[in-house]
Amino acid sequence: MIKFENVSMVYEPRQENAALDDVSIEINRGEFAFLVGESGSGKSTFLSLVLREKRSSAGAVYVAGQNLNRISSRRVPKLRRNIGFVFQDFRLLRERTVFDNVAFAMEVIGASRAQIRDRVPDALKLVGLEDKARRKPTELSGGEQQRVGIARAIVNKPAILLADEPTGNLDRKNSIEVMNVLDRINQNGTTVLMATHAHELVSEYRHRVIELNRGRIIRDEVEGQYTKMTTVINQDGSRALLFGDDSAPQERDSDATEAINDKKDED
Amino acid sequence: MRLGFILREAVKGLRQNVVMVVSVVLVTFVSLTFVGAAALLQLQINQMKGYWYDRMEVAVYLCDDTSAATNCAGKEVTEQQRNDIKSLLESEQLKPYIKEIAYESKDQAYKNFLDQYKNSSLVDQVKPDQLPESFRVALVDPEKYQVINEALSTVPGVESVVDQRELLEKVFQLVRVASGAAAIVAAVMIVCAVLLTGTTIQLSAMHRRLETTIMRLVGASKATIQLPFVIEGVIASLIGGVLATGTLWLLMKFLVEDKLASENVGVAFISTGEVWLIAPALLILGIVLATISSVVTLKRYLKV
Repeated sequence: MIKFENVSMVYEPRQENAALDDVSIEINRGEFAFLVGESGSGKSTFLSLVLREKRSSAGAVYVAGQNLNRISSRRVPKLRRNIGFVFQDFRLLRERTVFDNVAFAMEVIGASRAQIRDRVPDALKLVGLEDKARRKPTELSGGEQQRVGIARAIVNKPAILLADEPTGNLDRKNSIEVMNVLDRINQNGTTVLMATHAHELVSEYRHRVIELNRGRIIRDEVEGQYTKMTTVINQDGSRALLFGDDSAPQERDSDATEAINDKKDED
Repeated sequence: MRLGFILREAVKGLRQNVVMVVSVVLVTFVSLTFVGAAALLQLQINQMKGYWYDRMEVAVYLCDDTSAATNCAGKEVTEQQRNDIKSLLESEQLKPYIKEIAYESKDQAYKNFLDQYKNSSLVDQVKPDQLPESFRVALVDPEKYQVINEALSTVPGVESVVDQRELLEKVFQLVRVASGAAAIVAAVMIVCAVLLTGTTIQLSAMHRRLETTIMRLVGASKATIQLPFVIEGVIASLIGGVLATGTLWLLMKFLVEDKLASENVGVAFISTGEVWLIAPALLILGIVLATISSVVTLKRYLKV
């Protein structure tokens, strides 16, 4: 569903975005993957490449079989209709009701009133907000607001759902609500890729974990935990990553690389 | 459905941004008014040219006993001299330049004068023998006045050769200067209007960044995202254009038709009809300017 082939992203020195360095990975249809790593490790860059907000400097990004470096900007909207996006800060329109917020995503791509009346209630039901359709976002809890954001992201029935720190602004109870909704959506067949810092959730939910560090994939586990590494500040002030468990770092590192190489070979 | 959506978003933008939109309307209004004024003055020049050039002639005034010109030597033109002048005008040498020759006697001159100034108090002060007799020469090309002047001005019995067009040129010159000044003001104001429209659209786009981000990520087309802003700019400048047209019409109606034209019966003035002639051009200009400045702004400030 999403495939990166030797993708590198080089930025001008003064741009804030993190670079990517020779990233190769494939996320299959129907998978649920966590994308973890420190701030600046390249998670957001990864997501924006999938959305084709940017083009990679080198390598190829495939989404639903299309090479995103090759498609014209005219076809980008069509690509994005197949990808739902959930924001950390919800990004709901305050003056619109819950129903209208979800309907907005259909309106702007030209859906008919009948389609909207038909699909919005389904989406709200899926996130468990069918009884709050007439409320304004400000009357809802953070978790409910994020669920509205998710309903908006899936109302056009995308094959892929990207979520950028969807629980970043939520407490634990609300985070679990949101995670359960994402799980349910995944079980309906949608590929979910969630960038996150939430250790506990990653460790509890036991999905695939892809870890980025300074633009490189350093770990890819089928049922991973948030991280097994801890940052150590060396005496000269530089940072290094060390594994918290007993195994030697080099060994683990090569394991991870092998796992990635295996994937590549399968292609 | 999507068109309805785009229009609703445009109207929402206009409402959110009232102060800026009002300033765009006003600046566009003033600039298009000046554009229109310049155009109307130009039309007025053409109108007068068309009207007068058909009637304008070179007048060859003949001597009478009060003439001070050296050619006349204080004597009235003789029969012989008059015939000589006439045959000179009809000669092969001048023929290619001349369309028509008419003789105007003192009596006819007086009659024409009465016609032209019938509402004026001048009529009572002028007597038939005060007006000189003349040949009225219509030229094939009114610009070739010098040829007639050179051929006739030194001939005995000719008091003076007057190109009536020259008198008018002074009036034209004045109108041209006014038209040019209006055009310069219009140009400056148009630059203001374009910049202000751009700034307004930029503000509007920043104001609705949340909407546009969502639209972009759910796969709305470029047109759906950008058109509301362009339409917002176009509506504002259309209102400006309508106000400009209205103002020009009022000026034309009350200043030109009701005042200038009725006080100067002999002069051909343009009328409110000409305002309707230039109105579509003004509105189109407004639309084009607003579209250009919003598209350029959006290209820079609105990611799609």
